[in-house]
Amino acid sequence: MSTPVLICDDSNMARKQCARSLPDGWPVDVSFATNGQEGVDAIKEGKAELLLLDLNMPVMDGYEVLEAIRAQDLETMVVVISGDIQPEARSRVRQLGAIDFIKKPVDKDKLTSMLLEYGIIDAELLANNEQQVVEPQVVKEKPSKPLELNKSESDNSIKELDPQLRDCLQEISNVAMGQAGDMLARLLKVFVELPIPNVNLIEVSELCMAFASVEDFDETSGVCQGFIGSGISGEALLILNDSSFGDMAALLNYKGQLDDSAELEVLMDISNILVGAYLKGLAEQLDLHFSRGAPVVLGQHCDVSQLLETNNQAWQRTLAIELSYAIEDYPIKCDLLLFFTEDSIPHLAHHASYLLDD
Amino acid sequence: MIEQDDQLKEFYWYIDILQNVDVGLAVLDKDYNIQLWNGFMENHSGQHPNSTKDKNLFELFPEIDEARFRSKAESVFLLQSSAFSSWEQRPYLFKFKTYRPITCTAPHMYQNTTIIPLVSTTGEVNHICVIVYDVTEEAMYKLGQENTAALSA
Repeated sequence: MSTPVLICDDSNMARKQCARSLPDGWPVDVSFATNGQEGVDAIKEGKAELLLLDLNMPVMDGYEVLEAIRAQDLETMVVVISGDIQPEARSRVRQLGAIDFIKKPVDKDKLTSMLLEYGIIDAELLANNEQQVVEPQVVKEKPSKPLELNKSESDNSIKELDPQLRDCLQEISNVAMGQAGDMLARLLKVFVELPIPNVNLIEVSELCMAFASVEDFDETSGVCQGFIGSGISGEALLILNDSSFGDMAALLNYKGQLDDSAELEVLMDISNILVGAYLKGLAEQLDLHFSRGAPVVLGQHCDVSQLLETNNQAWQRTLAIELSYAIEDYPIKCDLLLFFTEDSIPHLAHHASYLLDD
Repeated sequence: MIEQDDQLKEFYWYIDILQNVDVGLAVLDKDYNIQLWNGFMENHSGQHPNSTKDKNLFELFPEIDEARFRSKAESVFLLQSSAFSSWEQRPYLFKFKTYRPITCTAPHMYQNTTIIPLVSTTGEVNHICVIVYDVTEEAMYKLGQENTAALSA
């Protein structure tokens, strides 16, 4: 008899990756849910003897699903699979009743040994079935088509982002931002709230507005850092609310007067950590290596609009990934923006295609 | 055999280049003792590699803000990812003379520094490399511009 397994994750790529990580030879009946609400509905329909649950989702997140399961006394075993790898996140989901926690991207051997440990699967049965080669009854989704970039014929530029590539970048960013958030959490000894990354193709004019907001409002400061490697290049921009400096400096154990240069140190330290960890996570998953340039302070030391004016002609649109970190119990807000040049997109798509291959 | 010779030749080239490149390179262990000191560091500090080997960085260079440098370096050991510091943040890490002692008005060399993790074969980071860039020209230009702006305002 096959076991009903439900995979609840907003990312198509993550759902597939998760389904592929289920042990070989285990007769399962896999269904999918794309957000927490769908997940809860599917549990009620008896589709989830085992639930593999993501935390970071729209409509209803993983924590809320765990609460709903408890409140409504739903019958299911939950393993949380998440990019949020802060120790605090782990203990919170356990307190909410999840039996265990696995970090993304899912490691097949780890998942298998965990399921064995909890007696959810049987080693002997698995070995027998493997010999017979049982086809897992994964609900077939539409076969994925290779990544194609929508190019207009006239100017050869990319007008729209392939939804599959967007999903892939969003999921990779989710994992990378989880790693960066974990570093920040360890350094500051706080719990970092991680929202869903935003992936968009934006026009240069929209970007100018984003930069201008850093410039106009003196209550924000920004640092940007260039990166390049394997045909992919771009800049990371970190924006911190000035009102966050006091709390941030306290968390970082800065002693003495918080003057301009001390604020700069805080900004640089945070950007080192977040940009460094994010790019490392991104590069590892895509099997790339980036060189990073020295960071440049925006808003405090140079005229940003001038900087853009000289470069306006060179490019039209950019792939932007937006990540906002917030720290629980502190009024600290910190945005990390990643901008990739238009000519990086085909290279990103190429590297991403290895992850999407079944 | 020929391939090995070629590899060895390349290896010596690398050594020669690192020794002569116009960028400072210093390898430190976890206790901040100096393990490697290239030509740039030797020439600008006046300290021979033999006299810096296994010596503590903070003892040899008291101008370094130990607490700040440590906190930056610790993050490199922990995160296994580079840390950067610009001259705008801190004019220099090592107090070196400028390259043009006669015609340059800068009191010292302005430096950007990068600390990179050196990952061992077992995947641990027990050493870091401090890379020192001379950015005196850029700093003098920018500072000059700011002065002009301040005067005309």
